[in-house]
Amino acid sequence: MKTRQTDLWGAISRYGTFPFLILFSFVMLAPVYIMFKISVSEPQDILTQNPPFLIENFTFDHWVRVFEAGNLWAPLLKSFMVASVATLIAIAIAAPAAYVISLMPKAYRYGIILSLLFTRMFPDVGIALPISVNFIRWDLTDSYVGLILAHLIPNLPFLAWILVGTFETIPRELEKAALIDGASRWGALQRVVFPIAAPGIAVGAMFVWLNSWNEFTYALYLTYTENTLPLQTYYYVSRGDWFQSAAYSMILTIPVIIVTFFLQRYMKSGFLSGSVKG
Amino acid sequence: MNNVKKRTKMLYTCCLLAAMAFFAIGCGGGEQAMQDENELNVVMGLGENEWEVMRQDIFPEFEEKHNVTINAVQSEAADVVDQLRGQIEADRVTYDLITQDVNDLYGLVDGDMMDDLTDQKENIPDEVIEAMIDVSTFDDKLLFLPYRPNVEITYYNEKVFDEYDITPPQSWEDLLEVAKTFHAEEDIGRVAVKANLEIDHVLHLFNFIRAGGGDPYVLNDEGSVRAYEFLQELYPYLAPDSRTATWNTMNTYLANESVYLGQNWPFGVNVIVEEGGKEEIKAYSGWAGPAGESHTLGGEVIGIPKGAPNKALALEFAQYLMSKEVQETLVSKLGWPSVRTDAYGQVEAWQQPYFDAVNEALQSSEPRGNVPYWPEVEKAILGAFQDIVIDGQEAQTTLDRYAETIEQARQ
Repeated sequence: MKTRQTDLWGAISRYGTFPFLILFSFVMLAPVYIMFKISVSEPQDILTQNPPFLIENFTFDHWVRVFEAGNLWAPLLKSFMVASVATLIAIAIAAPAAYVISLMPKAYRYGIILSLLFTRMFPDVGIALPISVNFIRWDLTDSYVGLILAHLIPNLPFLAWILVGTFETIPRELEKAALIDGASRWGALQRVVFPIAAPGIAVGAMFVWLNSWNEFTYALYLTYTENTLPLQTYYYVSRGDWFQSAAYSMILTIPVIIVTFFLQRYMKSGFLSGSVKG
Repeated sequence: MNNVKKRTKMLYTCCLLAAMAFFAIGCGGGEQAMQDENELNVVMGLGENEWEVMRQDIFPEFEEKHNVTINAVQSEAADVVDQLRGQIEADRVTYDLITQDVNDLYGLVDGDMMDDLTDQKENIPDEVIEAMIDVSTFDDKLLFLPYRPNVEITYYNEKVFDEYDITPPQSWEDLLEVAKTFHAEEDIGRVAVKANLEIDHVLHLFNFIRAGGGDPYVLNDEGSVRAYEFLQELYPYLAPDSRTATWNTMNTYLANESVYLGQNWPFGVNVIVEEGGKEEIKAYSGWAGPAGESHTLGGEVIGIPKGAPNKALALEFAQYLMSKEVQETLVSKLGWPSVRTDAYGQVEAWQQPYFDAVNEALQSSEPRGNVPYWPEVEKAILGAFQDIVIDGQEAQTTLDRYAETIEQARQ
């Protein structure tokens, strides 16, 4: 009886998962497809009561206009540099900090994690103005450094919080074994702990990069003459140019796909399987 | 083991890269916002084609004459207020001159962010439209300078109107009839009024109240009651898009034909007709109420923020923007109506009918009026709409209640 039930549940999960995944993927991908479709369609295919789902009259005109306008490369470079450097700095600071927090006694650790989360309780819109005022005083407007530092404000505690969880899952025995084998504390850390934590660090890095890449509020306060890409896209959206808005939105999406593809290699499960004997 | 080594190297590389990049960027990347006296930071909220005209036809002459570089900053009206607030609080104002929507001035004035330009009144050319000076004046102080008048026009889908053999409405009665016809023919409303319970909506209500012979600052007079009662009757036949129609989305609704008739600012001509190729979307000034046609005056004015680094040069630039030569360029290149009565320009042939509609609407335009208790007025006008038009309450008693809140704020 039990076996039959197990078989039934097994069959349901086996065959039921697939349609669910297809539906889920469709829901996730449809908006991206529609955005792409608008960016490569003739206006008459879009500006109608019942636009077709498939692309009927393909055109690259809107993309060409975006490239020809000359307003793309500087914002693209700025966004990419700021997001990438902010991510690298966040990893460099948050990874060691998270490791130390993970070694603390439970009571302390819990308090520190709570305080990290506490910093994320305030919406960016609420704290952006007072923070920006100080950045303006320090002449950090319209500069990469200002924006990178501003992006670290919400992202550092977030990354540290993610990585604390990552380091907690790494068995202490592995580190101890390395120390017994003659490795220094730092050696054990760099040869054993950090490599095993790489998938978690990759996930955290991806989140930070995406947050920084899409960040809008601080960019609005701290950027005057040289927009970031989200600001540039917002400008087209708010001015009502549907086709160039769609092209910009697609351009905003492409690096996200590339970075995700690059980092997902590190997100493999099973790193720890068999590392410690029971 | 190899994997471990690889990942270790990767981590080191990341840290090294971060340090190098941060150092490099800190030293060389991203110019600082500090400016010298040969730079003028000018903030405008413009579309791509408008910036093109500014950069190619307007800025160069001024830059050459004054040996100055104009740094053009793109910022929308609401964002300018936030950015300036930050700069003023930090005591580091970098904007020398802003151009701002006349119906979005309250935040700047209430925040005491703008320089008093009353002493510049004598420098305003006599030919400038008087109403644009009125919208720039708060408590008898001239806080802004006139630069660009604007007014909403009425867009309609000529193809659909011809299909149903309907003519664009000229009166409230016509408007109700057209709305009912579309609703009956298509089982859904196709006439849109901005009814989003935000600032766009307030301006539309000003138009209705004044066209009904009422005063929006009184709100319970006969004309106001008439306007709200008419809207109560019209509302069931309006397009559902009315609830989300803004200065931006109205263009989309007209272009994708979910709306056949709606009012919006003239920039919609560039978006819908020029960019979108929807040549069947035509425009005219609009419909009249019992007291005639009424349009709330919009447009942009020039302001100098308190603490602007180059105030003298900014004032020179403001004079230049008000000059006949510049105004004529703006007319002919962008189809903007002129702030001066003596500036004429030849717009492109396709733009002419729309330009005529704008000029006709301007004839019946009135400033919204600047009162220190504006937020209360806004709240009352929208609250009355919610209660009367959406919830179906009786107009007179409801308006009496809201008029009382305005009166209290006035005192």
